Amino acid sequence: MIFTTLEHILTHISFSVISIVISIHLITLLGNEIVGLYDLSKKAMIISFFCVTGLLITRWFFSGHLPFSDLYESLIFLSWGFSIFHMVPFFKKEKNLLSTIIAPSVIFTQGFATSGLLTKMHQSVILVPALQSHWLMMHVSMMILGYAALLCGSLLSVAILVITFQEVIQILAFTKNLDSLKKSVDFVEIKYMNRNERNNVLRKTSFSSSINYYRSQFIQQLDRWGYRIISLGFLFLTIGILSGAVWANEAWGSYWNWDPKETWAFITWTIFAIYLHTRKNKKLEGVNSSIVASIGFLIIWICYLGINLLGIGLHSYGSFTSN
Amino acid sequence: MMNYSYQCLPKTHFLKVSTFHPFFKFNPFPYTNYAANTTHTHKTPSFTINCNLKNVGKKDLLSQKIVLSEASPPPLTQDNDVPSTSKENKASNGLFKKLSKRVLQILSNLPLAIGEMFTIAFLMGLGTFIDQGEAPEFYFQNYPEDHPVLGFFTWRWIFFLGFDHMYSAPIFLGMLALLGASLMACTYTTQLPLIKVSKRWSFMHSAEVIRKQEFSESLPRASIQDVGTILMGAGYEVFLKGPTLYAFRGLAGRLAPVGVHIALLLIMAGGTLSAAGSFKEIHVNKFSMDYYESGEVSQFRTDLSLLNMDGKEVMRKTISVNDPLRYEGITIYQTDWSISTLQVLKDNEGPFNLAMAPLKINGDKKLYGTFLPVGDVNSPNVKGISMLARDLQSIVLYDKEGKFAGVRRPNSKLPINIDGSEIVIVDAIGSSGLDLKTDPGVPVVYAGFGALMLTTCISYLSHSQIWALQDGTTVVIGGKTNRANFLRHEGPNTNALKVYLIDEFYKLKCNRSCNSSLLPVIHTFNNVFK
Repeated sequence: MIFTTLEHILTHISFSVISIVISIHLITLLGNEIVGLYDLSKKAMIISFFCVTGLLITRWFFSGHLPFSDLYESLIFLSWGFSIFHMVPFFKKEKNLLSTIIAPSVIFTQGFATSGLLTKMHQSVILVPALQSHWLMMHVSMMILGYAALLCGSLLSVAILVITFQEVIQILAFTKNLDSLKKSVDFVEIKYMNRNERNNVLRKTSFSSSINYYRSQFIQQLDRWGYRIISLGFLFLTIGILSGAVWANEAWGSYWNWDPKETWAFITWTIFAIYLHTRKNKKLEGVNSSIVASIGFLIIWICYLGINLLGIGLHSYGSFTSN
Repeated sequence: MMNYSYQCLPKTHFLKVSTFHPFFKFNPFPYTNYAANTTHTHKTPSFTINCNLKNVGKKDLLSQKIVLSEASPPPLTQDNDVPSTSKENKASNGLFKKLSKRVLQILSNLPLAIGEMFTIAFLMGLGTFIDQGEAPEFYFQNYPEDHPVLGFFTWRWIFFLGFDHMYSAPIFLGMLALLGASLMACTYTTQLPLIKVSKRWSFMHSAEVIRKQEFSESLPRASIQDVGTILMGAGYEVFLKGPTLYAFRGLAGRLAPVGVHIALLLIMAGGTLSAAGSFKEIHVNKFSMDYYESGEVSQFRTDLSLLNMDGKEVMRKTISVNDPLRYEGITIYQTDWSISTLQVLKDNEGPFNLAMAPLKINGDKKLYGTFLPVGDVNSPNVKGISMLARDLQSIVLYDKEGKFAGVRRPNSKLPINIDGSEIVIVDAIGSSGLDLKTDPGVPVVYAGFGALMLTTCISYLSHSQIWALQDGTTVVIGGKTNRANFLRHEGPNTNALKVYLIDEFYKLKCNRSCNSSLLPVIHTFNNVFK
């Protein structure tokens, strides 16, 4: 069957291309940043983006409905969402730190989707009556885009926590060994600087203070990116939950059923609402908001996979047990 | 866009920029000898900047303007000087006011609201782990007293706190109500005054204050007018008063959260609204099902007639899943289907109506079965023909021994001979699962949904404010933003503002007509930021 072969080819291309991207990232992490390699990783991400888009379109074309009907399709769509958020800053011609976080996320979601766990689901299935609605398309696409954005943003927050945690360790290491400290600091910092910044650093007389400056600036940058992306994800999540409520009202006669999946979606919404509110308060800003976002990261996974693993409630269509 | 600024500033001169004319004359009036009544009289300007706006490079210049003003912006009206009507009541009135003010203060406290949200999230999560709405025996069994969950959690806790019906438990509803109160208090005390503050623009007259802002830079040998021009090009509303500048962008992003809170309150109000509606007669005309080519059910429909008290049909509609019937606040949903009876002819006798029973099988596919006894009905181990159906399309028949005998479609009239008796399946009668609902809260909730979607989208805009002050030859510039986006095409970077300004100064330099005093500035910047 042409469809299955095509799908296989596309999955394999995107999977291997992203593996290359990750190895490029590792190389740039270990060695110096090479401009050519950076461009290559950019192009590779575009290739994988088109592969995943092609995969979704072929599935759509052959099954006759939007590819959201089961977990496999929604995972592929999630990885497509990740690549979209990677593409947006690319079109703005900005150097972005997102790709370091997004590339592994894409490979994990795709790897999980194509792994043996879900092989039974690769055949596209027909839609059960309750899923045949225009609200479904809006609901599911918005939810998954929201999850993708929130996962990216909360991963950035996790990164902030990791870096500040490292800071704590470095403070401890300072008393023991001064040389090892210097090495670790150099390693951590330089990889995030582009050429201009590095030249700039060299020009400055006090090297360590500029390192601190760039460290704090890098954290700030992570924080701002995280905030921006989480706000966007929150927007998608709000629209997703509301369109889902409208759909539920059409299909089940009530806009809110306290079904586990929608309850957890609401919990996710609440947690990220808390995150956005902690940003308003100067006292809570910074590490506290990062902690909230990291909690949100776990809760998204409970909401997205955990509830489906249990296969309970009205949202059991996309679960492991449905086939 | 900002029409109110006309009303706020009687002594303001607006410079409209025409995009058709590539050059515009920027005439800042000398601060000291500005004549209030001659708004359109151009006095000799202290200096003139001609600059090519194409270098500034933005499309939507028509709406941009720089406002030069001498008058200070309107003062913020004091809210708390409402005079008390009678002196006798003043004491009690004051006490009441104090009390309500204190309550409002506590309720609008942000950490409290965050705590409430956390509690609600936790309770909801707990509600998905504890099975809801089971019989008491279930909880006795699963949360026994001798083996408490986590060392303390037993069924006593569940019944005491009402966690067997979490989402209608007093604790949960109480928390929601408290959150609603916090929302109202916050909207009233913090957000509504914000609208008033946003309506006036404030200049900063001291360099120290500007340096305390989230972002601040000093630009040596620059002029504030150039800064104004550049910011205007970046889509800011720019207000200039003597040596001070104030600019903002994306005011809607600042005001929309007020709308978000109001929309949430609307949804909460709609959720609490509930009432019963009048009832009419419903007549089911026909129930039918659609199938995929593979034979699976794709859709089920019911043809319904609504009859009024006189028995006259007022509405007729075929409803299906996702397509309910709505009539005067009543909504009838297609929710489910099943097979109720099978009409069978046995040896040309009958037809017999055999009731179909749902059979529980693995997975969530439906299966119905019935049984036609053969031989002596009263014998203890009676055997017979089993008939199974997944849908109304085909019936699978098995003989006495349980062996597959054949498949027949209803209405086909094709007889099948099993164990010596001739069976004809006349018809399979389906039953439609209908849900009838009257909910007057729905329009309110939907209005809330719409408002929430809209305001959340607008909230994504970032509200950026910039202040600048000419301090000798240096311009001190500072600003803050609520969504980490200062200039449209810049990444969220701390010195994005400075880099942007330098970039734009550089562009100004390229255009020979710009103020020559800037050239050394650009030179310095070029050296520093190569």
